[in-house]
Amino acid sequence: MSLYDTIINKIKQIQEYDKENEPVTNIAASSTLAAEITLLSSILVAVIMLRYFSNALMIVAVILVVAIAFFAMPIMPKLKREQNDSLNSMIFYIIIALGIITALFYWGNIHV
Amino acid sequence: MIIGSQLASFFTAGALIIIGIYAALFLDNLIKKVIGLAFIGDGANLFIITMGYKLNGIVYIFLPGMSIDFFAQNASYPLPFALVLTSIVIGASTLAVMLGLIILLYKKYGSIKASKILGE
Amino acid sequence: MNPLIALLVIVPITCALLLNLLHNKDRTIKIIATIIAIFLPIIPLFTSYGLHYFGAYSTLAQSPTLAQWVPSTITNSVLNLYHMGIVYSFGSAQQVLLIVLGIIAFLAIITSLNEIKRPSGVYAFLMFMLVAAVSAIILSDDIFNLYVFFEIAAIAQVGIIIASKIKGNYETALKYMILGSIASPLFLVGIALLLGITGNVNITDIAYSLKTGIINPQNPVLLMACGLIIFGWLYGTGLPPFHTIKSAVYSKALPHGAALLQAFSVFILVALGIVIFRIFSYIPFSKTFIIAISLAAMILSITMALMQTDFKRIIAFLAVGELGYIGIGIGLGTAYSITAGLFQAVNEAIITAFLFIGFGTIMYLTKETDIKKLGGMMIHYPKAALLVLLAGLAMAGVPPLNAFQSKFMLIQSSLNAGIPELGIIMILLSIVTFMTFMKAFYAIYMRPEPKELKINVSKIPKATIFSLVVFLIICLVLGLFPQIATNALQPLANSLI
Repeated sequence: MSLYDTIINKIKQIQEYDKENEPVTNIAASSTLAAEITLLSSILVAVIMLRYFSNALMIVAVILVVAIAFFAMPIMPKLKREQNDSLNSMIFYIIIALGIITALFYWGNIHV
Repeated sequence: MIIGSQLASFFTAGALIIIGIYAALFLDNLIKKVIGLAFIGDGANLFIITMGYKLNGIVYIFLPGMSIDFFAQNASYPLPFALVLTSIVIGASTLAVMLGLIILLYKKYGSIKASKILGE
Repeated sequence: MNPLIALLVIVPITCALLLNLLHNKDRTIKIIATIIAIFLPIIPLFTSYGLHYFGAYSTLAQSPTLAQWVPSTITNSVLNLYHMGIVYSFGSAQQVLLIVLGIIAFLAIITSLNEIKRPSGVYAFLMFMLVAAVSAIILSDDIFNLYVFFEIAAIAQVGIIIASKIKGNYETALKYMILGSIASPLFLVGIALLLGITGNVNITDIAYSLKTGIINPQNPVLLMACGLIIFGWLYGTGLPPFHTIKSAVYSKALPHGAALLQAFSVFILVALGIVIFRIFSYIPFSKTFIIAISLAAMILSITMALMQTDFKRIIAFLAVGELGYIGIGIGLGTAYSITAGLFQAVNEAIITAFLFIGFGTIMYLTKETDIKKLGGMMIHYPKAALLVLLAGLAMAGVPPLNAFQSKFMLIQSSLNAGIPELGIIMILLSIVTFMTFMKAFYAIYMRPEPKELKINVSKIPKATIFSLVVFLIICLVLGLFPQIATNALQPLANSLI
């Protein structure tokens, strides 16, 4: 399968156009709801901390977070599926994290 | 363009690390992944030992008849050699454990593809 | 020169090698392992504070007999003040951390000797090597020595996972080794960059040369070294992006092994975090990054913990998430917050070990870890249920148990630093932690027992109940008298600022 097909399949998977139907228990449904609320509220409070860098950035970030949350709900099942136990996804996120850390520290010139 | 040997060694170490990360990330055969990981370790070791280079330096053995001042001015840096020796041993033992685990997993699954054994 | 400091590392290593040779002689292994494990928390009590030099001399400035042979070009420069050889430093903070590590190791070892049918010399070898490696990491003032023991601990961890006979443990062990073989050489490159710029692997000397301006602190190579060392720190402790593999590692080890593994993660977060703070705290972005990644750890791990159906995975994700509190304490950068972070680390190690061994009794009794298939254990084992409930209350931060004091100190320090949002998130996630624990507790202990559940063994071993009671007593004592720990941890925090 070519790289293009892999990317299209991944995007379709995240948009949940190919849903798998498996039974859901009561405990699982209420846990997912609680996790969703926790995730959104803690991300919103964390984004408010950006006011130390600049007020404009904070307003833009809050609006972005609210918009993404509105369009992409429910986030929690997708997040759970993405943090699975497969080696390929773990190595992918680790290399991305290494790239972000190196870029931020070396070229960031950040004095915050 | 002629580059000095220390700069060329730094570039080689960087190239080894990048090739190792590519192999660990993209190749599907488990043995090739492990070879890539060995490359990353080798690149790091080459990086450390290149740090000890001194232009026209002598080996850091204090021979009889050598003055202390001459030794202090001309010897290349001895510390990286000790660190790299330890690091090579650590790398070899980690490699041995990984290869042992791969043998066990091959017996269990009958295949050596990472997507089958370590995927989901 | 204080020989007891070296014994703190040598005794567990020697015992490990001895027990490995004595594999298959069950009674001898049990006796020797129990006796040496009793000594592990006792040796730090009698060690006096100070430095131990493995090269027999401290600095040229303090060894005039040696300095007379060295040319004056060296004795008149800053090299006169640099330490020769590997230095181990033992202060009050290291004493508290080593006593706690010794207690957790002792209880984990006696639990493992009594829960496994035939005590295994090789398993005891792995646990003692892990204890030795963590002790050396806490004591060491030499960054390359720290890396060597870090690698020894990684192989010991993999051995503990392989020995557990849980389904899927070989795959998890191989994944952990592959990810480790990417992260550790990059950590080594960071150390090599520090060595290349400062000419030193002794942390005190590196911090001294950066503070007094002998080496230019704004050198861009130091920024790269900071980034790579922080990346290695993320791997060792299990902060994102390594949180999924760390929680998989905790869930695939036997519960007493997992108690020791999580102690390793907590103590390496503290030890390497203090090292990063000492060397790189003049870069403001390093502290911001530590706070950001700790927040990410808390949010990602605690929300993932809610979604799991295997109770070992739930506790594993909670354990990884609680590390974020310690990171916030270190990242805020004031003396009070670092003391709070260190105290939180001590409490976290004890409480998570308490939870792992407590929930581990369920695995010992029923061999079942899926909460959909469990239930009604409170009728059969009410005392164990009470102890596990108290462990969960301790993790949530209920007074008078210990996590209340440390979380209170952390929230207060975030308010003092002027960042109340961190306090809000910490309180919110503590509530969610408690909710997750109650979900697991209800599903295992309180709801009616399913008919298919088979309880294979009828009694929990006395050693396990003894371990749980000792953990509870420590939680109560630290909760009612937090000064025991904070007075010992404060000098280290004050010396960092």
